[in-house]
Amino acid sequence: MMGAQPFETIVGAHHAEIYRYLRRVTSRATEAEDLSQETFLRAYRAYRTLGPDANVRAWLFAIATNLSRNHFRSEKRRRVAHLAVSAESREADPEGPEDEARLGEVRTLVEVTVHGLPLKQRLAFIMRKIHDIDYEAIGRSLDCSAESARAHVFQALRKIRLSLNGHELPPGASPTNMERPR
Amino acid sequence: MKRKPQVCLEIEPDLVAVATGDAAAGAERRVEHHIDACASCRGEFRRYREIDGVVGALRRAPAAPESVARAREGLDSRLADLKSRLVSYRVFPSPLGHILIARTEHGVSLVEYLGGRTDFGASRLSRAAGLEAQEDGAEIEALHRELLEYLRGDRRHLEWPLDLRLARSDFHRAVLQATASIPYGAVTSYAGIAAEIGRPSATRAVAQALRWNPLPIVVPCHRIIGTSGALTGYAGNQVGLKQRLLAVEGIRAVGTRHDSRVERGRLYHYDRNDQHEYCLPTCGDIARRPIGPVTLLASRELADALGLMPCSACRPDLHPLSA
Repeated sequence: MMGAQPFETIVGAHHAEIYRYLRRVTSRATEAEDLSQETFLRAYRAYRTLGPDANVRAWLFAIATNLSRNHFRSEKRRRVAHLAVSAESREADPEGPEDEARLGEVRTLVEVTVHGLPLKQRLAFIMRKIHDIDYEAIGRSLDCSAESARAHVFQALRKIRLSLNGHELPPGASPTNMERPR
Repeated sequence: MKRKPQVCLEIEPDLVAVATGDAAAGAERRVEHHIDACASCRGEFRRYREIDGVVGALRRAPAAPESVARAREGLDSRLADLKSRLVSYRVFPSPLGHILIARTEHGVSLVEYLGGRTDFGASRLSRAAGLEAQEDGAEIEALHRELLEYLRGDRRHLEWPLDLRLARSDFHRAVLQATASIPYGAVTSYAGIAAEIGRPSATRAVAQALRWNPLPIVVPCHRIIGTSGALTGYAGNQVGLKQRLLAVEGIRAVGTRHDSRVERGRLYHYDRNDQHEYCLPTCGDIARRPIGPVTLLASRELADALGLMPCSACRPDLHPLSA
């Protein structure tokens, strides 16, 4: 049977997010455009075989991830993408109050570091930290266990941590029940 | 740089996970316990909290809406193109040999006898240009079931949406549409269809169009025969299939495999008279007049359903044909 809702609804609900994901993964608008379109064309072909209880969002992320991995199979493409984001991000530095400028600089550094990560770490990091996909689903997308997916994210964070050595950061803002200012 | 103690190395993944709000069960207590005692890891923890803040800002950074819109526009157009090309199909066994059914988004586009072969390569779909065929289970399954019911005589109508794009021309489409309107249990001729579509001299072209009917059974070209009552051709030279399909509808044919014709003496006749009356085959010379101008009907129920009245001269209502 056809999936529970018309495919157009799926496109409407998820296209923008999948595009943003791929935009981060690829760093070039044209590549992200192409891969996001390819993701939904593939999804359309398989949509009618999708079970009614399937997690459509995680499924789309898996397709997009798969396509990205094929896309970056050539190391050269990856290097080019890395260089592109370095250049692009520097241009995007915000001007303004000192704090904002500092945050902009740090953000750029993080972005550049993320783009320089090995592909699996990069994909895992973006899925987990930007799109909040759970580790089980990330593992399925990357053909690895949830534990390995977690390890990829950990490695990514370590490298980001190293790249920020010597940079002053704004105090952490995300909520956690372990505030320990002492 | 001083080497980190082993205990700090071991707790590092948990520390990072807790600091970035991503802790596995039980990790928080361990990390809390550790950083209470270890100043260096307490510093690390704070650092990762800061990094989490930066990542959070990254997450909230909006994507350029115009590039999202552009990508979406491109997707909509590529999706529309794919939908117009995508055909799902399935091959399954039937009492008439293996049959392939294919459908597009718009409707069923192909029903094909594969004869002894069971593979997709035997289908004309495998050679159709500009289409993308994909094997499909569930959707075609329902069609398959209905077709089998039809072939058993348990179902009279296949109310399927049709997609006539595999017809070769507008003329062919017109022939198929006229043929689709011939009801279950009725028979007319190629000449009859030619007259119906306003091309009375195109009998041979009509026969040719039906020879390429992409939707046999559903578009019931088996109900179209020669003016004399001869079954003539079907699906290449499989007149036997035509005979079986007509038999399901209560229309019998007699004769040899190469020369079989319907038994007009067992069928009601309707010559499109102004009174809308149908007749027994024994009414005047009606059984000697060509099929086409005369439509043959398997039953009185069908005549009733078509809104026809019994002929006031031969009274088929009083003298029904034996089944």
